[in-house]
Amino acid sequence: MKTKRTIQKSCCLIPLLATVLLTSCSSNEEDNSATLVDGKSTVITDLAGDTGASMGGNTDGKEQRGFHTFLFRFSDKKQIWLHTKADSLQYMKTTDWDIAFTGPYNSEVYVNNSKYQYNPGFEGPAQNTAVVLLNEDYRNVTQAPADADFNTSEITKIGWASSASSAGWFYYSLSSHIMQSIPNRTYAIRLPNGKFAKLQLVNAYKGNPPAVTDLNWPAPYFTFRYYVQNDGTKNLNTK
Amino acid sequence: MKNKITNGLNQNKIVLSFVLLCINLLQAQKHNTIRGNVYHSGNPIKQAVITLEPSGKTIFTDFNGFFSFSELPNGNYTISVTNMGYKNYIQQIVLNGNHNKSLHIDLEAGIDLNEVSVNSKTSTKNNPETLIKAQYSAMPVIIIDRKTIELMGSRRLDEILKEQTGIAVVNNISGGARSVGVQMQGFGSEYIMVLIDGQPMMGRNNGNFDLSRISVSNIERIEIIKGASSSLYGSEALGGTINIITRHGVIDPQLQASLSYGSLNIVDATLEGETPFSNNKGTANIAANYYRTDGFNTNSKYIQGTTSPPYDNYSLQGRSRYQLNENSYLNFSGRYGLRRSFMQKDFGLGHISGDNQDEQDLNLSLSFDHKFKSNLKSISRYYLTHYTADMSVAWQESNNSVSQDVFKQTLHRLEQQFSFSHNNTYQLVGGIGGSIENMNDDALTGVNSLQTFFSYLQGEWTPIQKLKAVGGLRYDHTNNFGGRLNPSFGLQYFITPKITFKAGIGTGFKAPDFKTNYLVFYNSSSNYLVIGNAVLAPTLQQLQDDGQISEIRQYVLNQTAGNLQAEKSTSYNAGIILEPSKKFKAEGNIFYHKITNQINSIQVATGANNRIIYTYQNLPKAVNKGFEIGLKLSPIKNLEISAGYQYLIAQDLSVKDSIRAGKWPYSQNIHDPATGNSYKPRPKDYWGIENRSRHMANTAIFYRYEPWKMSASVRVNFRGKYPFGDRNGNQFIDKYDLFVKEYWLTNASIEKRLLKDHLSIRFTADNIFNYTDPLMPGQPGRILLGGLSYRFFKDL
Repeated sequence: MKTKRTIQKSCCLIPLLATVLLTSCSSNEEDNSATLVDGKSTVITDLAGDTGASMGGNTDGKEQRGFHTFLFRFSDKKQIWLHTKADSLQYMKTTDWDIAFTGPYNSEVYVNNSKYQYNPGFEGPAQNTAVVLLNEDYRNVTQAPADADFNTSEITKIGWASSASSAGWFYYSLSSHIMQSIPNRTYAIRLPNGKFAKLQLVNAYKGNPPAVTDLNWPAPYFTFRYYVQNDGTKNLNTK
Repeated sequence: MKNKITNGLNQNKIVLSFVLLCINLLQAQKHNTIRGNVYHSGNPIKQAVITLEPSGKTIFTDFNGFFSFSELPNGNYTISVTNMGYKNYIQQIVLNGNHNKSLHIDLEAGIDLNEVSVNSKTSTKNNPETLIKAQYSAMPVIIIDRKTIELMGSRRLDEILKEQTGIAVVNNISGGARSVGVQMQGFGSEYIMVLIDGQPMMGRNNGNFDLSRISVSNIERIEIIKGASSSLYGSEALGGTINIITRHGVIDPQLQASLSYGSLNIVDATLEGETPFSNNKGTANIAANYYRTDGFNTNSKYIQGTTSPPYDNYSLQGRSRYQLNENSYLNFSGRYGLRRSFMQKDFGLGHISGDNQDEQDLNLSLSFDHKFKSNLKSISRYYLTHYTADMSVAWQESNNSVSQDVFKQTLHRLEQQFSFSHNNTYQLVGGIGGSIENMNDDALTGVNSLQTFFSYLQGEWTPIQKLKAVGGLRYDHTNNFGGRLNPSFGLQYFITPKITFKAGIGTGFKAPDFKTNYLVFYNSSSNYLVIGNAVLAPTLQQLQDDGQISEIRQYVLNQTAGNLQAEKSTSYNAGIILEPSKKFKAEGNIFYHKITNQINSIQVATGANNRIIYTYQNLPKAVNKGFEIGLKLSPIKNLEISAGYQYLIAQDLSVKDSIRAGKWPYSQNIHDPATGNSYKPRPKDYWGIENRSRHMANTAIFYRYEPWKMSASVRVNFRGKYPFGDRNGNQFIDKYDLFVKEYWLTNASIEKRLLKDHLSIRFTADNIFNYTDPLMPGQPGRILLGGLSYRFFKDL
């Protein structure tokens, strides 16, 4: 009699557990890249930078060299690599590119310009280009700044925001060793062809993850978006 | 190869021990009987649970409150009587010769909480290898006993602890995928000392002690002290201690085998045996455990493979006590653990990382205890522990190493303790000792060994019946750091039999470790260099001479170099225990922990090629404050409902100072991503330290139905949202930063005993609703396990 009752009790528990187990849940995951699409801007996801280079010595496998620079043209999303000296000679001093990804992890971005000596376009034809940092959300930037703002802008390199005066696009944490793009930094650009554009650099980690949960998450894979006003006006509204 | 040989040897030892044990099972001599009756106010109590330790036998009283254990061999026993609605009754009994003990036990009404308040005398079986008792702590003590562990059906130590009020197990992302540690009342793992039988365990990854290394199969009891406890245990016990007491002291031979299997191909197999030897002059316990898991993935959207490592874990543990003469005993205990783990992660496009770790640790202890008089005892003990970890991470497609390190740590410790008690008015424990610690790390430079000398005095005092006091004083001296004195003091006042007030204060410290002083570590994938504080000036000079420096922050260098102070803490707590009826008990406690001189990294220079060079500095002050509430209810017999809640605010006060002072990057405007508005930060915009939840709660129901010999538990654990990291680059957590969402985890277990308690069948379900979050790489989804265990012992 006793054992029978035990079995009955166990039998009651099994369906109870089963119903409980069928319902599962997990924290919602947002799709980060989808939220970037606004119908007007161009969204580039996971553009591979130089993943074969390493920063310093003592790294087996990876080549012990600096990171190769690549150039990028907004109009047709073309990535131009500067692997060799011939590449550099062919592309650097031209108006065939708009922005360059240089330095460690290709994280330092330049707008093609002839005046600054470390700019890949130094002594090239892009003389009237400029970049202005707007501390605003990309969506809310509807108008390029006045010409005077472009003319007086002193921004040369957009890289690590390591000081109060830096116009950099990311912050690198010394405690977590992870780079994090700074929200509400939108770059208004006067392009080599005189047109106005806005640019947001979103992520350097593969897949544009909402959070980097692994110290060795592959990088650099760039996610960024931009909008070029082709009619020559300063209207940058992408809403 | 070396490990293989060791394993083979271990297996032989196990086999041999079990053979001996089986012989003993047949040989043991039994002559004694313990019997008695249980009453409350003169009325017999039926169905009370009588447990006889160390035999582990459990029986129930009959309708007349009568019970009896027969054919017991000579030795020291502890009999405990538990019954819902009554306070536990515990008595020590010494049997020698043909005794026929008859007991008359009168139970007191009330409920026993797991929580032992300041210097309460809830006497659990004391560890024979130390005279220091958790009850001397002025901080709150939680004791988790073997029964609770068994009822929870948990396998690893971290699983048990994360269900306790105010305790969380968190991943430290910056320390790599294997840096997991326990957090308690806001203190991170680096400030919580982990001990085995009162001796410190080693082996940390970025300060984090991974408790999943330890199997719960051979644990008798876990003692947790929340708050600064350096007056008991010295350096490192800055935020609290977790002391694991292993099984010991048996009189009846027995053998237990258990096996569980389930989700993630988890296998948990234990073989454990206990026996007396040499005519009960000695006792021995040996346990072997094998555990494996496939690991799991909480971020399958971005990663193929596992976010929490798969591993195989082998451990062998033994403990023996031998009576040399009437008043002297020799104790030996040992533990060996080996964990091998290889974790693969595929990020797509051929980016596959392989993360390998082999860990071994050894703990050996030898002690001699002697009783001069009934109130004067002495213990001399020696302890050796050794830990090695061989770790590497590599990109598999190119066999391209990301990091590689071999780490070895050894500690020798010698200690002499005395205890003296007087007429139940006071008890005193004093001790003196020293230790030598060696660390071998590929990345360490210019270090030999750390020598520590310590001496202490602890005690409790009952000046009047309504008042009890505990206190302690400990002095630690370290060769490379200097001396430090840590006091603690606690009071317990019994206002009425139903209301008790308690309060305590204690201090803690943590001497700068090898890493912060001597490590010179270069991370090539992230291009940063860390230089330990003690070797900072000469190393920077060397680099500068080699032309590898582009800028030195002279101010930081002057402030920090060779000037690293010990981290310090002061803990205050006060609380009230209410027992309005015998079926209900409530406890409330407020705590305030002040931590000064916390060690943190700071950039000191920039190298050529944009290399960041940093070292360690002391930060001014952090505070963990909050309160804890515990309830325990027993509405009907054998049903126990408990609940706990912790409210916590953990903040780094230097962040508030920096916001107030307008220091960059703290001074940057905070943007509300929803409205696009931005405003200047105020100190109150600072949310708190990463990984700390404001709210944590748990509730548990344990039920035992004796006629069916079944027991079941359902536990629900809540953790409020907590910050994962800074998102907007202002280097402090504000409400727009990245938070891990609040969550509930539900666990349940059911057990049935069969064949006169020889066989038990167990089913456990952890995280029943399968909750996972990519931001919690170490919290697995639903785990279902079934298990069997069989105990060989002589029936009564």
